[in-house]
Amino acid sequence: MKNNSDISRRRFLKSTGALTGASLFRIGAPSFAALTQAACTARDEGATFRTLGTEEAADFAAIAARLIPTTDTPGATEAGVIYFFDRAWGDELSRFLDVMRGFLQTINGGLGARFATLAEAEQDAALKANEHDGRFELLRITTIYGFFAMAKHGGNKDHLSWDLVGFEGHHGGWEAPFGYYDAEYAKEQSSGE
Amino acid sequence: MANDVTFDQRTPVDFAIIGSGAAGGIIARELSTAGFNVVVFEQGPYRRAEDFTHDEYSVLFQGELLGGGPHLSGQTFRHDEHEVATSPEVQPIRYAQTVGGSSVHFSANFWRFRESDFKERSMLGPISDTNFADWPITYEEIEPYYTRVEWEVGVSGAPGPFDSFRSKPFPMPPLPVKSSGVLLEKGANKLGLHAQAQPHAILSQPFNGRSGCIKCGHCMFFGCEVGAKSSSLAAMIPLAEASGRCEIRDRSAVFRIETDANGRASEVLYYDKDGNEQAQMAKAVIVSANGAETSRLLLLSASEQHPDGLANSSGFVGRNLMFNAHAAVDGVFKHQLNDYKSVQVSKVIHDFYETDEARGFYGGGGIDARPLWSATPIFHAMLGMPHDVPSWGAAWKDEIAHNFTRQMTLACGTTSLAMDRNNITLDPNNTDQWGRPAIRATYHDHDDDVAIARFLSERSQELMDAAGAEKFWAHDVGLSTGGEHLLGTARMGDDPTTSVIDRHHRSHDVPNLFICDGSSFVTSGRGQPTMTIMALAFRAAEHIAAAAKANEI
Repeated sequence: MKNNSDISRRRFLKSTGALTGASLFRIGAPSFAALTQAACTARDEGATFRTLGTEEAADFAAIAARLIPTTDTPGATEAGVIYFFDRAWGDELSRFLDVMRGFLQTINGGLGARFATLAEAEQDAALKANEHDGRFELLRITTIYGFFAMAKHGGNKDHLSWDLVGFEGHHGGWEAPFGYYDAEYAKEQSSGE
Repeated sequence: MANDVTFDQRTPVDFAIIGSGAAGGIIARELSTAGFNVVVFEQGPYRRAEDFTHDEYSVLFQGELLGGGPHLSGQTFRHDEHEVATSPEVQPIRYAQTVGGSSVHFSANFWRFRESDFKERSMLGPISDTNFADWPITYEEIEPYYTRVEWEVGVSGAPGPFDSFRSKPFPMPPLPVKSSGVLLEKGANKLGLHAQAQPHAILSQPFNGRSGCIKCGHCMFFGCEVGAKSSSLAAMIPLAEASGRCEIRDRSAVFRIETDANGRASEVLYYDKDGNEQAQMAKAVIVSANGAETSRLLLLSASEQHPDGLANSSGFVGRNLMFNAHAAVDGVFKHQLNDYKSVQVSKVIHDFYETDEARGFYGGGGIDARPLWSATPIFHAMLGMPHDVPSWGAAWKDEIAHNFTRQMTLACGTTSLAMDRNNITLDPNNTDQWGRPAIRATYHDHDDDVAIARFLSERSQELMDAAGAEKFWAHDVGLSTGGEHLLGTARMGDDPTTSVIDRHHRSHDVPNLFICDGSSFVTSGRGQPTMTIMALAFRAAEHIAAAAKANEI
């Protein structure tokens, strides 16, 4: 089942350079540039894909990047969701690898081109056209896994996604007050209101 | 702590207890400290507090504590007996396979039942096409055991305005109020309702040598890494093992209870950690495997003397499955709640607990405020968004980023009616990882169950509005597709033709076979069953020990 590609991360990034570059030009924020730099060093330079081949990895990465796009905040690309796909589809989610490959074939077959080579608007239209395919939801959920699951599973580089939503999941315990309303409540209680 | 004792399989042990969860753990402690030798069988591994993690992906979505997901655990579901049951990707029957059972991974919301719960049939009359009945015991009879749970297992809380009487105060104060609790209270006050502190089987302070809660926010579905959650693993099993008379035999999946020529339970057959068949002889057997597993085991133990399954002369084994219906309303507020921190719930409303015949249907429930989908990020991104937000893309990303810390859910836990059509049976087409027939759940909520869930959803929307939510939305109330509360499938009763066990948990058919877990329930309560399971376990153990000492088993 496994397709142990020798593609390096450097070569992979090059293959998706058009996509990443377009996003960078669109954003252009210094803080985002720093985040992107972090993402570019997300894996060892010699890291290889264990499960996916070069072209299909580029396509899946491009799909993930439209599902959770890079805007003024990082998305699936910066979090390294593709590395979650590569690991999980070769391991605990291996029963879905052929399903996902089949879905990619369906998308690319309809397009007559590889998904990763299209412009973002065309990519979005292609996904929209396949939204009602049950495999779309599976890929969407898997992308969410890759974005938010602990970094040890392959994605969520530097907890980018947790920072995005404000989840301090690496923190241990907490003490009250936890949020705005209970803090205000405590003040009211102590002032006798 | 390692097991200090190992019992010989061919020498009958005093009690074989099947299941180490909310009931089994307590019964093991009670019987072992009373001087009986017990072996507790648990199909899951023996995880300790230090083994539990905050790994949402593995725990919530890969079934780490659930036996590895439906493709391994062997569960199928259907709404109607004419359908072929299928195994959905989301496990339909959700219980933990680990020492301590589901008391390890539950949210630990911990209500007592009320006096009315035990006698609703007498109060309200019959309901057609149901097996609606009174319990054979009263609140007065179980109250001392609720108190034992609170003081021996460890419960935090404060009395509420509608609670039934208690003989002793809570042993420790409630956990701190959260923003969601403050907002629920604000809405309740505006509407003339009453928000009260939520009781928890979680220690608000150090208690009985255990650590207090650190408010890490990983209660629902997770094990507690500091042992503050009052699971049987944290609170009871260490005491059982310390007696020197209790062996926890983990990774041991029981597949049959053997009976002798006299029809008495004699032996427990199980698969060990290597998948090999083993047998343990026992003088008596106690089944506390949960409402789904208990039913399967009894049905699997059919014999010439018990052709329809062990303890099943009534035909009630597996029937009357009750999940507790649910509803949920989400709301987003201006400021950050950060409700992912600390326990799930800090305030609850019980104004709608009782059945009001003016509504035109049976049922009641509680409404509590909690993060639910906003407790962890995958859950939030997957299920927490309103209907008018697309499910992917920039707008969706902005929404989850904004809402995660500002969102809360009003969760409604409600009643389910006992019915023949809702049941656990053996799946003829599927097996679990050990080769046992899969647990097949057939379930179609009673119209009244759906009606009360919708009623509470409407009240929750009013509460969200009164609490000042900038936006709120109700999740659809539909038919149940599975559940965590596995109730009613071996109900207690005085009549052997309409119940499986007597009021002291002894099976009507087999004198040395006892059953105690959620399956013992006659009615469903309002959505928080574990306190009552534990109270029943203390009470059952007392009677079982007394009978054993009197040589009456």
